[in-house]
Amino acid sequence: MTFRLGFGLVALVMVVAAYMVVRSRNLVRAVLWLALTLLGTAALYALLDAPFLAGVQVLTYVGGVVTLMIFGVMVTGRHEGAVAEIDSADRIRGLLVALGFFGLVSGAILKTDFSAVIAPRPPSTAELARSLLDDYLLAFEVTSLLLLAAVVGAVVLARRRDPGPVGEGSPR
Amino acid sequence: MNASVLLGGMALGAPALAALLLVLVPWVRHRGVPAAAVTIAGSLVATAAAAKLVLDRGLGAPDVRVTTPWLRAQGQTLAEVGLQLDGISVVMLLVVTVVALCVQVFSLEYMREETPRSYGRYFAYHALFLFSMNLLVLAPNLLQLFAGWELVGVTSYLLIGFYFAKPSAARAAVKAFWMTKLADMGFLFGLLLLFASTGSFEWTVAASPTVATAVTALLFVAVVGKSAQFPLHVWLPDAMEGPTPVSALLHAATMVAAGVYMLVRADPLFVRAPATRELMLWVGTATAAFAALLALVQTDIKKVLAYSTCSQLGLMVAAIGAGSAFAGFFHLGTHAFFKALLFLAAGSVIHAVHSNELGAMGGLGRRMPLTSAVFLVGALSLAGVPGFAGFASKDLVLSSVEGKAGWVPWVLLMASAFLTALYMGRVLIKAFLGPPSPAAAHAHEPGLSMTGPLVLLAVPAVFAGFLGTWLAHSVGADYHLHLGLTPVVASAAALLGLAAAGLVFGAGRSAPWAAVLESLDRRGLVDRAWEALYRQVLLRVSGWARWVDRYLVDGVINALGWSTLEAGSAVRPLQTGRTRDYVFAVMVGALVLAWLGGWR
Amino acid sequence: MRLTDVLLLATLVFSIGLYGVLTRRHAVALLLSIELMANAANVVFVAFATLRGGPGEALVLFALVVTVSEVAVGLALVMLLYRRHGDTVLDLARETKH
Repeated sequence: MTFRLGFGLVALVMVVAAYMVVRSRNLVRAVLWLALTLLGTAALYALLDAPFLAGVQVLTYVGGVVTLMIFGVMVTGRHEGAVAEIDSADRIRGLLVALGFFGLVSGAILKTDFSAVIAPRPPSTAELARSLLDDYLLAFEVTSLLLLAAVVGAVVLARRRDPGPVGEGSPR
Repeated sequence: MNASVLLGGMALGAPALAALLLVLVPWVRHRGVPAAAVTIAGSLVATAAAAKLVLDRGLGAPDVRVTTPWLRAQGQTLAEVGLQLDGISVVMLLVVTVVALCVQVFSLEYMREETPRSYGRYFAYHALFLFSMNLLVLAPNLLQLFAGWELVGVTSYLLIGFYFAKPSAARAAVKAFWMTKLADMGFLFGLLLLFASTGSFEWTVAASPTVATAVTALLFVAVVGKSAQFPLHVWLPDAMEGPTPVSALLHAATMVAAGVYMLVRADPLFVRAPATRELMLWVGTATAAFAALLALVQTDIKKVLAYSTCSQLGLMVAAIGAGSAFAGFFHLGTHAFFKALLFLAAGSVIHAVHSNELGAMGGLGRRMPLTSAVFLVGALSLAGVPGFAGFASKDLVLSSVEGKAGWVPWVLLMASAFLTALYMGRVLIKAFLGPPSPAAAHAHEPGLSMTGPLVLLAVPAVFAGFLGTWLAHSVGADYHLHLGLTPVVASAAALLGLAAAGLVFGAGRSAPWAAVLESLDRRGLVDRAWEALYRQVLLRVSGWARWVDRYLVDGVINALGWSTLEAGSAVRPLQTGRTRDYVFAVMVGALVLAWLGGWR
Repeated sequence: MRLTDVLLLATLVFSIGLYGVLTRRHAVALLLSIELMANAANVVFVAFATLRGGPGEALVLFALVVTVSEVAVGLALVMLLYRRHGDTVLDLARETKH
């Protein structure tokens, strides 16, 4: 019962926030709405008995990603919603596809009988940690490499070229 | 192998080898005289083989026919090549080879003033011609005959245009080729129709009357061209641009006779086509009369003989049209000898006075007795004076048209016989009698190599007529000399004609009505008609064809190309460069696939 | 039942994010929409993991790392876009079009 109530609340928050993300003209506000959606997700994880994940979600997403986004918006200077309007053709297309997708997948979900499998106990944090370093060790290591590559890549892509001795200045 | 087949092979192969050698080994050709030796050697072999074949036949050798498959398709044989040695082909072979040999020997001296390279080229063409003609004569079916027919057409072109640097000669060669090629379309279509209807090219093929009429009509078109019948006769007088020996061989005795030969060969087919025969009768008669009139007013001795050939061929065609292929064949044989004789004798005269014009001649009877004598023999034979070969065969021709088509052809042909005697008499008087012209005053007889063939040809020009019975027996035809209306009238016509010539043209007179006759030289009219046909009709049709090709055929291709480019341009906007659109496309595709994938 | 609800929620959020990807012109806005979609996918994993068992949670951790990397690189690209064209409208990056 409580689950239903809590879930309902969280769901509402998430959906509204998500909608506002895609509809806000002001980019800073859009980012903040995203932050709210992500927080809602964290709450959902908590409700689903995955507290560790909830914590990680808050840390990485809300703390890290959102901050990044804010920086991105600020640096590029275009945050006052002066971006040109989308044309209606795009909107109709988008709506159709989104609705189509939603209809298709939700239809599939509703038609599936999920009661067959008995729900086991969700893993504890300790178990999760062990599986990371035991069953999924390779994935773990590879992912860390990926992270490294991404970081280096982002730095390389975004750096400003130093001006030469004669002072060429602007990026090649 | 059968001895006859071997002989036939030699008759075909010797000239072929000679031609091949002369084509492939240029230095022999360029030396001149060696080329002549090669060609004449080949001709000698061929003549000897032909003579032996005739001899064997006289001793009772049977008909021989050997063929080997040539064109095959889907396991069936479409066409064969080979040799057919029967009464008709063996005799024709002998006639052709003897005349060819005489002409070639005559040419040794006649063409002596040519450069060695030209001399060699001349004899190379002669070898090629003899091979082609023999191929035609010995053909076992219509297809091989057609092959030979086309080949002799080519050699005719080459030889008429022998003096290719001379514009009139070059034009004459093209004209001859073009006209005969046009007529040969008839042959081609006739062959195609024949094969399509009956599946065979044989002489004795069984065809329904409708098919036979169509095929024979088409084949006759080709004969009209090749044998210079009206209205396709205009190339023959122009063909006199070639060297005189060539005129003697190709355009009197053999090549133009090939049309008649084909008619004789394919007679079984023509039997079923009375309509075509009727046409032949009239065309032949008309040509005989018309050409004889034109021969009367020519001033060039070769042109007289050319029109005379047209006329005589008309006689042959008419005879075959009247139903007597044997009469046509008989006259073909005798005509070959005396016409070749006349041409070579004319050549001797031309060589002596350095001109073709009758006006430049005169009184040569005294200065060139041998030439004059043989020319006289030939002329009498042509005129149909009794006792000469021409009389016997012409008599048979005239007999065969007795009573046909209300006696009209008979009357017209008798008239042409009269005219023949008249124009030959005119030539005899103008060239050989009377006072000599300045050029003729220095004329003299040529050497043995030229007089020898003349004498040789004079013999059959007289005596070949007596072989009529033997010949008829050999080919299985019916023939017997008879005394009746026709021979009497014919003899009278001939003698009267000669007498009239003496009266009209003798003593240097040219009657006022000769001028009237001269105005009849309407050759220009027919020529102009053909030219108009070419320009107005053929070129116009070509223009239409070009339009079709450019706008329809090319148009289709161009349209294909254009539409491809247009389609490309139409599709190009899909590449917007916008990520949004691509995501959209991916999502749509994914949704469609999910749907199709069985969302049940 | 609970599973179904959670799944439906995730699908809805994903669809909203999809709409955003298809309609927004600003590059950063696009990234935000992508974030929504990735997030929704993670929710699905967690839902299955906690309510049905399986490796879902671990998978989510890895997915998280990948997503974060993608955001970092994406933002670097946005920087480049801005520097090159003076604007962040994604349509400006048209180099793939002839």
